[in-house]
Amino acid sequence: MELLTRDKVRQDLIELLKDAREDWDHSINVTDETGIFNDLGFESIDAVGLSSSLEAHFDQSLPFPEFMTKVKEQNLKDITVGHLLDFLMANLRQSAERAAA
Amino acid sequence: MSKVVLFGLDGATYTVLDDLVARGMMPTLAEFMRTGVRAKMLSVKPPLTPPAWSTLVTGRTPGHHGVTGFFQYDAPDSLSIQLISSRQLVAETIWSMVNRQGKRAGSLNFVAHQPAPKIDGWVIPGWVSWRWIRRLSHPSTLIDKLKAELPGFDVKSLAIDFEEERKAIVGAPIDDYKDWVGLHINRETQWFNVMKHQMLHDPVDLVGVVYDGVDKLQHLLWPYLDPALTPAEPDAEFLRIRSLCWDYFRNIDNLLKQTMELAGPNTTIFICSDHGFTGSWEILFINNWLEERGYLTWKEGTEAVQDDNQELEPSFYRLSAFDLTRTKAYALTASSNGIYISVKGRKDENGIPPEEYESFRRKLIDELLNECVDPETGEKLITNVWTREEIFDGPMRDIAPDLTLALRDYGFVSVRRNRRMLAKRPQILGTHHPEGVLIARGPGIRQGAVIDDVHLVDVAPTALYSMGLSIPADLQGRVLNEIYTPEFLEAHKLRRGEETKAVAAAAGADAPGDEEAEILEKLKALGYIE
Ligand SMILES: [Zn+2]
Repeated sequence: MELLTRDKVRQDLIELLKDAREDWDHSINVTDETGIFNDLGFESIDAVGLSSSLEAHFDQSLPFPEFMTKVKEQNLKDITVGHLLDFLMANLRQSAERAAA
Repeated sequence: MSKVVLFGLDGATYTVLDDLVARGMMPTLAEFMRTGVRAKMLSVKPPLTPPAWSTLVTGRTPGHHGVTGFFQYDAPDSLSIQLISSRQLVAETIWSMVNRQGKRAGSLNFVAHQPAPKIDGWVIPGWVSWRWIRRLSHPSTLIDKLKAELPGFDVKSLAIDFEEERKAIVGAPIDDYKDWVGLHINRETQWFNVMKHQMLHDPVDLVGVVYDGVDKLQHLLWPYLDPALTPAEPDAEFLRIRSLCWDYFRNIDNLLKQTMELAGPNTTIFICSDHGFTGSWEILFINNWLEERGYLTWKEGTEAVQDDNQELEPSFYRLSAFDLTRTKAYALTASSNGIYISVKGRKDENGIPPEEYESFRRKLIDELLNECVDPETGEKLITNVWTREEIFDGPMRDIAPDLTLALRDYGFVSVRRNRRMLAKRPQILGTHHPEGVLIARGPGIRQGAVIDDVHLVDVAPTALYSMGLSIPADLQGRVLNEIYTPEFLEAHKLRRGEETKAVAAAAGADAPGDEEAEILEKLKALGYIE
């Protein structure tokens, strides 16, 4: 299995967000600073689908509610792609780790 | 052998259905009952939607299938909360059981089905917002295919909408119930249209669909639906709202009629509900009671709700509302009516010493049953307290609450802080009752019979029997022989098959957290609805 580098995970994540946003405006340049609520128009309930989708895509459980709590505690105005990436990089297990687990 | 349709009506109860049949509002259901068999169907304890439907589709109890509520601890030694998904549903589903015997299945709007299991057939999960339903359905091309092929298909109407759903659980008056009821009528029709399209273009041998508006309407509008609560001289407003409710059930009746036509005579249809319904008139703030008894300490600054708060169950509390260093027992989530006992070394180093667990628990049960009383009348508020050994027995037992309560009005406890422990609701709201419905009709099924109570675990084995398939040896329910004619039973011997195929539990299930994240606020609705 491909190594889950930050670039690879970013690519997968953006693909997934695009997939959920069917009216995607392809001119939007998604960067790590792009906010998923304010810039991409997601709603809070979409967190559930995002969580289930990320778990399915990477085939592992993710501590998503904990992440959301941290977001709240830090009073962030929005969750950015960068936040999500930090979270994923901190929690995704590489296939080698999985094989060993 | 017969094909099978599981026609799921979330929360359907004879209290309402019999009244509507008697009034001529549901002629198809009347005919269905005349030519089929009916029984009260006992739900799981507590009668909560996710564990209940999961029991129906697995033929296993919650301690075995792993779904205990809308949210649950991810492991016995963890303080992390998970949102329910198919990762927690660890027992084999009936969809998979029929697949293993060469039959195809379709599953629509069932809880704990996201991401959809990859069965031979098709699955659209329930409780998922429209943006994600495509990715979480199976096959992944299904939603796009429906958009292209099915006129009028609207994924936004089909999928759960938490903003609107929220109204199902908040007792505050809303200006126009018409739009709200209309939304549910439209949603059910969308699900039916999907089922019809799929049955015609991608046929399966077993199809299950859940119409969940029944539950939503009954939660919010129970006084208009329970004939015992109809005023002697109803005013125009009452009649107008009741008429809207009747529109909803007339539509359900129409969908049943179309389902029967679509399915044809060689299909057995099981109308089933995950639990019944009744009225709740009070709110027990159970954590306040635990505080009064010295079992619980709120963290400083935890806000109290108003006494006259009209919400059915206003919050799903984060663990951080409690001072865990000074808390021995707490109710964590609204709908499960569960109390967790904090035991040192179990999840952290707080709580009672493990050797005191049995005596502590016995004392707490005794106090809950005998000393949690109405301050005005002295009447006991809690009618039953179950241990997890009693109702969650099985490999997943230890993720469940230590104790589960049944209240005198069948209500859900509130887990919020209040200035007092008991409040009257300004108006009666619907709540879950342990007795749901099972009404079956089809080849070999007796006509017009009323049989003794059955249980949710019996549906899966009975559906398999109607399909002529063998029954996995480890299902916990039984084939309901009494619904069939003697001739049919004679001609179709029951065959026991190999055990169910274990589903890998979410390996290293480590999704956790504190559940009151703002972002999950909309999910609170789930806590009440169910
Ligand atoms: Zn339900």
